[in-house]
Amino acid sequence: MKPTLLIGLVAALGLAGSAAWLVGVKPAQMGALVGLGTAPAPFQPRTDDQIPKGPYGDLIRLGEQIFREPGTYAAAYVGNDLRCSNCHLNAGRLAGAAPMWAAYTAYPAYRSKTKKVDTFAERLQGCFDYSMNGTAPPLGDKVLVALETYSYFLAKSLPTGETIPGHGFPALPKPDLPGDYARGGQVYAQNCASCHGAQGQGQSSGGKVVFPPLWGARSYNWGAGMTSIESAASFIRANMPLGLGGSLSVQQAWDVATYMDSQVRPQDPRFDGDVQSTRAKYANTPMSMYGRTVNGVVLGDPATTPPARQNPPAVVTN
Amino acid sequence: MRGWATRKAASAGIVAAALVLSLAGGPAGADDSLIAAGGALAAHGATAERPGCASCHMQNGAGQPDVGIPRLAGLTAQQIATQLGYFADGARQDPAMTTAARLLSPLQRQQAAAYFASLPIPPEPDRLATDAALRARGQDLFRNGDQRTGLIACALCHGATALGVGEFSPRLAGQSAAYVATQLQHWHSGALRDPQGAFMRAEARGMTQDDIDAVAAYVAALGDEETKSP
Repeated sequence: MKPTLLIGLVAALGLAGSAAWLVGVKPAQMGALVGLGTAPAPFQPRTDDQIPKGPYGDLIRLGEQIFREPGTYAAAYVGNDLRCSNCHLNAGRLAGAAPMWAAYTAYPAYRSKTKKVDTFAERLQGCFDYSMNGTAPPLGDKVLVALETYSYFLAKSLPTGETIPGHGFPALPKPDLPGDYARGGQVYAQNCASCHGAQGQGQSSGGKVVFPPLWGARSYNWGAGMTSIESAASFIRANMPLGLGGSLSVQQAWDVATYMDSQVRPQDPRFDGDVQSTRAKYANTPMSMYGRTVNGVVLGDPATTPPARQNPPAVVTN
Repeated sequence: MRGWATRKAASAGIVAAALVLSLAGGPAGADDSLIAAGGALAAHGATAERPGCASCHMQNGAGQPDVGIPRLAGLTAQQIATQLGYFADGARQDPAMTTAARLLSPLQRQQAAAYFASLPIPPEPDRLATDAALRARGQDLFRNGDQRTGLIACALCHGATALGVGEFSPRLAGQSAAYVATQLQHWHSGALRDPQGAFMRAEARGMTQDDIDAVAAYVAALGDEETKSP
């Protein structure tokens, strides 16, 4: 795409005032603006037609199914309406959207969140506890094995122990002004609400949630990585709106992430009975709004906070 | 617990109210009269000298898939009315539809839209056969996108089985492959097509002709069975 066309696109979105940062962008750089991070050519993960026949291939397929529809294929462990593929776009393949091929090669790793070295399977467990507001499958459970097998398949031929271009979300510069709830609400209404709903409730098609709920009882809980305004802003700037990653300004990304992460959502499953004490232990960062008062509500207050672990009663799956 | 449940109920109430407001026709009776008038427009046209919508799109809304005339059954009234408005005011260009839409008053556009939106998905006994390998490639692009071109998976906006989502994204399952391919080519060329075209222009930017043909063949072949499966 020529720069002039790109600017036209931004103007068409009503963002002309914030288009200055795009001026002079060369076509070759577009990829970096559209969710591909700052990498040169991103890694090419395996495609579905390369899945081999046999039990190994069957497990890869199951992993991909779980990844797309955890509420169907891993129902016992899922407590909300999210899918893995809502944040790990293109079913965990897209660079700049926390691709599973890069995640696979990054473990085992020490994590400040757990204060220990986690294996890849243990990292997957965290997704179920927090992002999926459910209960982690036990180590060795077929759900975890399938997800790990799928990720391994995608990562084939990548080196371990190195930072892979395209991993995680692209780092985002700090904004000129601190992230702002009111400005973020306007960004949300103009750019996000047509898919995610005015109340952040998401949107379904054919009985299935397509656009995920961003807050409320059916979204990620207060323990999830996405409750970090910085993480959310990085994801949003690189990947949202879908197909138009990079179209929001850095400031808009921080503002709308602040708005999204200042809403009511399910309780942190590590809640110790006291919001401020829980914040001090697990969310003691300016990037978390947990325990802060927004619109007269203390975020995380049990009186106004949906419960954690809303997955169906545990059943033995294997 | 009680507190949050109350808030949840209030929030659901807001959503329900918004849904009611968004129903264009209001009470069922008004909808029925719009649909009836739209059916007459489809059959007989707005004036005696002009053919009705059905002469191209068929009275059952099936369109003519082989020649790229889109199926209208399965779209929402708002989607159809919006595009008719774009044709009428020149925001979207098409030789046949520009003329046709300009002959309709805003009320008639609503009537035609209500009529076609009310129709069930018609059966497709004579669908053109397409190449299985092409459809498989289309399925891969639709579900997984393409790392090489930065294509975001189509399923992320149109749904896993291409049923479309609310007013945001139209149903593609069973749509004419020739029509889908033509629209993707418009966007690929850099055209906005209509004021809502920014998303699709960004999507189609990196698609090759082969990619376009593959995705079009895949969605066109999505029938009742595929869209029912999980």
